[in-house]
Amino acid sequence: MRKSVVLLAVLAAFMASGFTLDLNKVEKVLKTTAAATRTMSDEEEYYLGRAVAAKILSEYDLLENDALTDYVNRVGLTVAIHSDKPYTYDGYHFAVLDTEEINAFACPGGLIFITSSMVDALANEEELAAVLAHEVAHVAHRDGVASIKKSRWLEVVGIIGTEAAREFGSQDVSSLATLLEGSVNDVFKTLVTKGYGREQEYRADTTALTILEGAGYTPRALADFLTTLEAKKKTRGGLLKTHPSSKSRLKNVEENMPEADADESLIAKRAERFNASFEEEEE
Amino acid sequence: MGSHKDNREIIAAFLFIAGLLAALIVPSQADAKTVRVVTRENAVREQCRFFAPVKAKVSYGDALEVLSEEGDWFMVKFEEQEGCIHKSAITEKTLKKKKTSTATAETTTEEEVALAGKGFNPQVEKRYREEHPDAEFANVDYIEGIEVPDEALLEFIESGGLKQPE
Repeated sequence: MRKSVVLLAVLAAFMASGFTLDLNKVEKVLKTTAAATRTMSDEEEYYLGRAVAAKILSEYDLLENDALTDYVNRVGLTVAIHSDKPYTYDGYHFAVLDTEEINAFACPGGLIFITSSMVDALANEEELAAVLAHEVAHVAHRDGVASIKKSRWLEVVGIIGTEAAREFGSQDVSSLATLLEGSVNDVFKTLVTKGYGREQEYRADTTALTILEGAGYTPRALADFLTTLEAKKKTRGGLLKTHPSSKSRLKNVEENMPEADADESLIAKRAERFNASFEEEEE
Repeated sequence: MGSHKDNREIIAAFLFIAGLLAALIVPSQADAKTVRVVTRENAVREQCRFFAPVKAKVSYGDALEVLSEEGDWFMVKFEEQEGCIHKSAITEKTLKKKKTSTATAETTTEEEVALAGKGFNPQVEKRYREEHPDAEFANVDYIEGIEVPDEALLEFIESGGLKQPE
């Protein structure tokens, strides 16, 4: 509303001072401005996330263990409904990657991967929930989308224009596919090689604490896991490569730790089903 | 000099008419707010909470009339069914039904573009897949096909002594 008033005032001032305006040019400028501020929709984020996941799955093998995958999905969905964004275009989906690398990746839109070595490093369901809550927080914060170069997204918006839905011509589709490829590479590089910024990681940790507390898991599990991770410092690559040092994350987590009572009997009960999911894996 | 004066008179008349139209139209827009579903599928539920019984299933783009807001939930009306839907499943910035004395037509706002214009879509993914045959979309489809029904998730939460969102 304030923008409209300013625009009207500018328009009035120009005309009152005797300048003539080309209304077509004004419309073009307004449309360009609107396009520049246009954010990615949930559906677009979904298709981007699918392509990022497809690239990750071309680099890592999927662990074929239905029981463990189902269990990880249940824990993941439990924390997801306590996030600020419980619903994405196609919902959250979790899978385990078969690799010795300790890591977890959140693709835009809600496809989340955790590696088998990461699962092996976790002590119980609380810690699994902590890792998944951290990844859900990245999705809710749209951190993956934020890693796309701004100029690339502006090109996408430039092609689709500000008109309503339409069928794209062959050249448009080709250009958009190229821009999708560039966007996928931007996100992939951030997830797998470079990592998010320190502030994004701290914010995801802080949000994870809130999610854990809301879901009834002990938030201390995040601190416990980061302590374990700190002890595994010598591990090459993976999460230690793409995340800030566990020590600095631990400091941030401790500073924001909610005061929540932990019911040890429930933690033990949940640990039982966590261990059971492993036993099924080994059978 | 004369043309400057004429311009000022035209501007004054323009601003007066614009103000009058805004006064007539803007307040009535708030009377019936319509939101659109932004998830592939979702549900209008009996109560404003997860796992409440489903009254109606809704799909991407469906228009819901907002009756009221309750925390993170919207009380809405869809095809004569009234119920709740979570705020993350809808966008408030799409269409607004204008109820004026002379017209009931729906108008498209700028924000509808975000819902309708789709930069990354099935058409673009198809082209991307043709150009990247190594990308493992089959496994992505497999992962997306893994479902945990509401009842199973609720049982998991309760049996683990966990909480549903308030």
